[in-house]
Amino acid sequence: MPEDATAKPGPAEQVSKLYEDLEAQAARASEELVSGSGFTGMLTSAAENVAALTKLSGDTMDLILRNLRLAGRRDVVSLSRQLARTEDKLERVLQEVEELRDELGRARADGSAPAARAARTAKSTQAARNPPARRRNARQRKDST
Amino acid sequence: MSTLETISRLPRATLEFANIILTTPDARIAQTPRDVVWTHRKTTLYRYRSSAREYPIPVLLVFALINRPDIFDLRPGSSFVEFLLGEGFDVFLVDWGVPDEEDADMGLAEFVCDELDWAVRETLRAAGEEELTLLGWCIGGTLCAMYCALHPAGAVRNAVLLTTPIDPRGSLYERWVGGEEFDVDYIADSYPVVPGSGIDFANKLMKPVANSFTTYRRLFQNVLAGKDPRVSYQAMAKWVADNPPFPARAYREWITWMYKENLLIAGHLRLRGERVDLADIEQNLLVVTAGADHIAPREGTLPLLDMVASGDVTHLDRAGGHIGLMAGSRAKHEIWPELAGWMSERSDH
Repeated sequence: MPEDATAKPGPAEQVSKLYEDLEAQAARASEELVSGSGFTGMLTSAAENVAALTKLSGDTMDLILRNLRLAGRRDVVSLSRQLARTEDKLERVLQEVEELRDELGRARADGSAPAARAARTAKSTQAARNPPARRRNARQRKDST
Repeated sequence: MSTLETISRLPRATLEFANIILTTPDARIAQTPRDVVWTHRKTTLYRYRSSAREYPIPVLLVFALINRPDIFDLRPGSSFVEFLLGEGFDVFLVDWGVPDEEDADMGLAEFVCDELDWAVRETLRAAGEEELTLLGWCIGGTLCAMYCALHPAGAVRNAVLLTTPIDPRGSLYERWVGGEEFDVDYIADSYPVVPGSGIDFANKLMKPVANSFTTYRRLFQNVLAGKDPRVSYQAMAKWVADNPPFPARAYREWITWMYKENLLIAGHLRLRGERVDLADIEQNLLVVTAGADHIAPREGTLPLLDMVASGDVTHLDRAGGHIGLMAGSRAKHEIWPELAGWMSERSDH
């Protein structure tokens, strides 16, 4: 027998429908609410208060640990930063090395290996002639950039 | 289902529902086999294993700084990465990792000019190619657009930008954080890395009822109806709940430059002194927008289409939300084939 389209829905369907309608209305109302300027102000203040509380509690914990002569979060972060900076430099050096290796490979493939070798020898001779102090200064300048 | 039947199923459905929620953290996502190609600080470049690479031009996937890039490879059978590998692409993924306090100094310039630039370099070296396709999603798309603008004659042959914020004027985010009331400097000074949970909370607050009730109600209804939503729900819920923190400097710059000063669209944004002018983008460009995207509304992406210098620009506007467009149940049969088709036409030597 075909289902009667006008058949009255059961109580479960009615409750479900009622809930879904209510939810849809609540969704619309809440989206309107969060897009208002009043809500923006409230959200901003709440975010700042949470940030202030987090900072205060973090600073207090760090102070306690420091007074106990234990390494705190700040010390670990400081060490990690140093490591990160070293990794940055290492990455740049590695890229330079890779580029030089590629260049050398290309030169060899072109059959101009003797020329590349000569250039390298000239470079190393020049580097050896540089006084150590000058080289150190040059390296420091590069690091500071 | 009769009322009596519904009532009789309730206890079992309630237990099943609770079990799905409670075991969500155990769900396995991002399972496609991959190898680490390169790492630097927290960034890792992966290459997915494949024995059927057909197109020489590799694809580099770039996701946002909030949430993890696992969304590209959600679960077997519903993974964009798996789909691309099946289509014959050589797929790489740049994962920004989980920043910590020591990464507070990572700004947008570090992400675009160092991490992304180096990831591009390593991708090309690993693939043995001179060009690639850059595919960015959400903030990842914005970073890719900045990169393309800075390197118009660089290694990027094709750029694909998915639901990418470019001009956020008029968006709800802009209303929340773009005004003077929101003191981004205070937040960035207080947190070396802005907690991901806070950003996730704000995201969910944009649609409070849908995110707090509707999702769970639908899950319960599906369980009650005898369907098996466990795998699909858990994979997505696990990904949604995984929110890495935002480095303070990048957060400050993102909010200030994009939402407060709107520098990118105005062409006034500078990274390491170099002007990021979207009009310099010359790569083949595919821009995808989603009709129901409340995070990066399409109105905020469309201005890009009129700005770029690319001779080959395609725009796809499809139904769906910010994430649902690419990770929803229909994506596999709708948007993914379209993306693969566009890329395949531009991925030969």
